[in-house]
Amino acid sequence: MTLRRIVIVGNGISGVTAADTLRAAGYDGELTLVGDEMHPAYSRPALSKALLREEADLTAHLLPPPTHDATELLGRRATRLDVEGRTVDLDDGVRLSYDGLVVATGCRARRLGTGQDDPPEELTLRTLDDAWELRRRLEERPDVVVVGGGPLGMEIASSCLESGCKVTLVSQGPPLAQQLGSHLSELFVTAARARGLRIVTTAGAARLVRDGGSTRVVLAEGTTHDAGLVVTAVGDDPNVEWLASSGLLRHGLLLVDELGRVRPDIVAAGDVAAVPTPHGVRRVPLWSAAIEQSKIAARALLGQDSVSLDHRPYFWTEQFGLALKGVGHLPFTGEPELVDGEPGGDRLLLRWDDDGTSGSGAVAAVNYRIPIPRLRRLCDAAA
Amino acid sequence: MKILLDRPRCEGHGLCEEEAPGLLHLDDDGELVIDSEEVQEGTAEAAAASAAVRVCPVAALRLEQ
Repeated sequence: MTLRRIVIVGNGISGVTAADTLRAAGYDGELTLVGDEMHPAYSRPALSKALLREEADLTAHLLPPPTHDATELLGRRATRLDVEGRTVDLDDGVRLSYDGLVVATGCRARRLGTGQDDPPEELTLRTLDDAWELRRRLEERPDVVVVGGGPLGMEIASSCLESGCKVTLVSQGPPLAQQLGSHLSELFVTAARARGLRIVTTAGAARLVRDGGSTRVVLAEGTTHDAGLVVTAVGDDPNVEWLASSGLLRHGLLLVDELGRVRPDIVAAGDVAAVPTPHGVRRVPLWSAAIEQSKIAARALLGQDSVSLDHRPYFWTEQFGLALKGVGHLPFTGEPELVDGEPGGDRLLLRWDDDGTSGSGAVAAVNYRIPIPRLRRLCDAAA
Repeated sequence: MKILLDRPRCEGHGLCEEEAPGLLHLDDDGELVIDSEEVQEGTAEAAAASAAVRVCPVAALRLEQ
């Protein structure tokens, strides 16, 4: 069947990439793009990096204007999907009919205060509006407690520190160890401490308690930390509530096949989609993975051939004076080989051999400019 | 159309090179080099150039009609 009406729900990089890909693949039918934010698509990785810097280039997150010629319905949220009737309901009462659907609704920040009647103030950083709000609050130079020792929490802590704030980071176990492995964790923690970050590790989940107008962070061990500003970065949850009655969810996840298909007329991509990987079915919430998945899914929706997922996503982080670029399955376990750079220095090219479980090696470049294709070749050589 | 680079913005990720290896590449120092600035509209090259512009997370590239 030739598709004539495609609806894309989600106007982040996944939705926009799907739209571009559909057009590039020759689709010239109706295209409708629904986004719950009023902003055009922007670069989310920039929010916690360039955009938070004191002397920031306040256009660091802007992407080139779209060329997909879709009807854009912004500031509106999808509330329901009817897979039999092939309709999507929006929160303003509009019902969109489709014969092809792309689900790209992404994720939202998980909040520690969720479920409390009168939740204490807690900033998160997921959307552009979140970033503007955090920037505004940092102007008052509050004492900041960042809860969450993952890459996002560490990037936020680094930016807050650069803004001149006193910053405490609360982390379950060593920061970044879960995500990047112990070797890189130690490298970043050393750099962070040298710049004045106070790190508090805890064995359990932190709680937030309201204390008048401010928020107090209570750790599993019972210790409390007062803060002028609490920012949490404790993970994300996929935006799948609008699919609750669709019958498409399994244990709260939207599962796709290796081409991004949920069913013949529905594909999904980006942070919302749980994709099959050699390490199990999982969401891969990374910029480069979102783009790759969206291209594959859009072509699959049109019934066109496509390549399969690479499964060695590229990722990067910038914090505490270190810029890391990596390729490979995370976390990187064990001790790496130093391919280039000085031992103990901060310009490094590191390689981890296949540990026998991941099926491929891994590489990381720290303060080291290197093209991704070269990183990938090094990664292949380590497999 | 023409591929334009805002060099101070470029962080050398090189995702663009993966999209359009025939049009641009990172040199040995990790600096982006545009090998083919002019691309003919409506061609496969133009599609690759668009993809390269889109994939950049710091919007260092743009296309001029």
